[in-house]
Amino acid sequence: MNILTIDNLSKNYGKIQALQQVSFTVPKGTVYGILGPNGSGKTTMLGIVMDVLKSSGGGFKLFDEMPNDSHRKRMGTLLETPNFYHYLSAVQNLKIAAKIKQRGEDDIDRVIEVVGLAQRKNSPFSSYSLGMKQRLAIGSALLGNPEVLVLDEPTNGLDPVGIAEIRSLIMSLASQGKTIIMASHMLDEVEKVCTHVAILKYGKLIASGDVNEILVNEDVVELAASNLDALKNMLTSFPNILSLQIKDKVVQMNLPQGTANMESINKFCFDNNIVLTHLQLKKKSLETKFLELTN
Amino acid sequence: MLELLKIEWLKLKNYKAFLIIGIFFIIGIFVTNYMVLTVFNKMVDKTEAGMLLGKFMPYDFKHVWQTTSYTSGYILILPVMLLIMLVTNEFTYKTNRQNIIDGLSRLDFINVKIVLATLFAVISTIFVVITGFALASTTGTEFSLHGFSQVGYFFLKAISYNFFAVFLSVLIKRTGFAIGVYFIYMSAENIIAQLLDVWSMKIKADSKLDLGSLGSYLPMNASDSLLSFPENPFKSMAKSAFPTDYHYLTISIAVFFVVLFYWLSRRIILTKDL
Repeated sequence: MNILTIDNLSKNYGKIQALQQVSFTVPKGTVYGILGPNGSGKTTMLGIVMDVLKSSGGGFKLFDEMPNDSHRKRMGTLLETPNFYHYLSAVQNLKIAAKIKQRGEDDIDRVIEVVGLAQRKNSPFSSYSLGMKQRLAIGSALLGNPEVLVLDEPTNGLDPVGIAEIRSLIMSLASQGKTIIMASHMLDEVEKVCTHVAILKYGKLIASGDVNEILVNEDVVELAASNLDALKNMLTSFPNILSLQIKDKVVQMNLPQGTANMESINKFCFDNNIVLTHLQLKKKSLETKFLELTN
Repeated sequence: MLELLKIEWLKLKNYKAFLIIGIFFIIGIFVTNYMVLTVFNKMVDKTEAGMLLGKFMPYDFKHVWQTTSYTSGYILILPVMLLIMLVTNEFTYKTNRQNIIDGLSRLDFINVKIVLATLFAVISTIFVVITGFALASTTGTEFSLHGFSQVGYFFLKAISYNFFAVFLSVLIKRTGFAIGVYFIYMSAENIIAQLLDVWSMKIKADSKLDLGSLGSYLPMNASDSLLSFPENPFKSMAKSAFPTDYHYLTISIAVFFVVLFYWLSRRIILTKDL
């Protein structure tokens, strides 16, 4: 079963095209990252799925059906910013959410405990710090233990401890078989927790699918010798080489993931009469990959 | 709908403005009417004008429903303020979005606000009836429902005001701005209504065309014009100059605008980005 099927979805704000014919599918049980820089249309897309924004074209399905209100009751969603009644406490706000979702109030204490707000659960929302507001929003999404979670920038405003807590929370929810759709501009966040990814840029979908297919990692080896040009020329004959370039006084050689063997590279150079002054294996960072994809 | 109202109650019961405005409103209805009663009692007893008034008592059971309905109309601004605050707050704090995200439908969102506006009108009307009964009981006159239809007009006026408040709130979305526009609109409509009324008299005098008072066909003035202070010796004006009071036409127009405000509010919520 697919949790979310997006089909040619578009959205215009006047002349600005916030989303341009985006299509992709979120299968059940995946942790689906929606990656994109600020203003790429992530929140707009989720806003349409949650019926707070109206699309200008295309459509979407939830649970393989035409979307309706009961679908949203089965999903726990944090969209953009925590939105709560400022004069009500955490408990009072969650009572409203529970009632809308047609669930009992018995789960409120549990989610408050999970997001670490038990000490302040009766203070008014207006007295919360940004991080606490974010925690309450995550707690609200967890209310009633929904099968699908939609989290838009879930670690926004959290301190490093909070970020780590939320990450492990997401991973434990994923291991329980829940489907998680997570929008983020934080690459390492997506890399660490997601199984699938869709990359958006200026409202266009530029890639989507299995995270290991989209964000293919390569081994990057940095080498240096007294004569860089000679080193580069010699390395063109290295087996299985993917690419080669001189960058910042080192030669960068890309090899398929897991194939770089420092010993054999060193021997190869020495056999070809070049003595290396520098040899280092570098994992290609996701950030580089992301910049490559979006530029 | 009951479940939806319970959700609204969770939002309302800890909202300080609700408590404060609610208390002011209840006290307001009573105090305003009590003041009018006291003024009349003093006049009848002691002044020369009292002689002219003779036996006219606005709060005896014969007149009380009309007097209380008319007088209490001025306090309706309080529930209007409260409604504007409640609805615009949802937009300011984006809780309207959160409600929808959590699974409320857009239609339920606007319908429950309209039901709330109706409920406020019902409660206001109940307090008018209680106040009227209490004050009339002090006059020692015999119980009567004479002129009780005026209470119905009060209800219509409260509905008109409240629906207009909901419409302005979903249209403007900002608390201060919506309240400001409300006051400016009310003043503007009253001025235009007066000009139209004068014009209606002129039309009647010039061409014998009796269209009624055109001013009372405006959205808020329609229900306003249904209510007036009881007839009394002070109000003995030359009636013949006035156009005919087309009562049922005015009621129909007031109802038409109530429906229009609901339809417009609903349309905004159902079709726009939230």
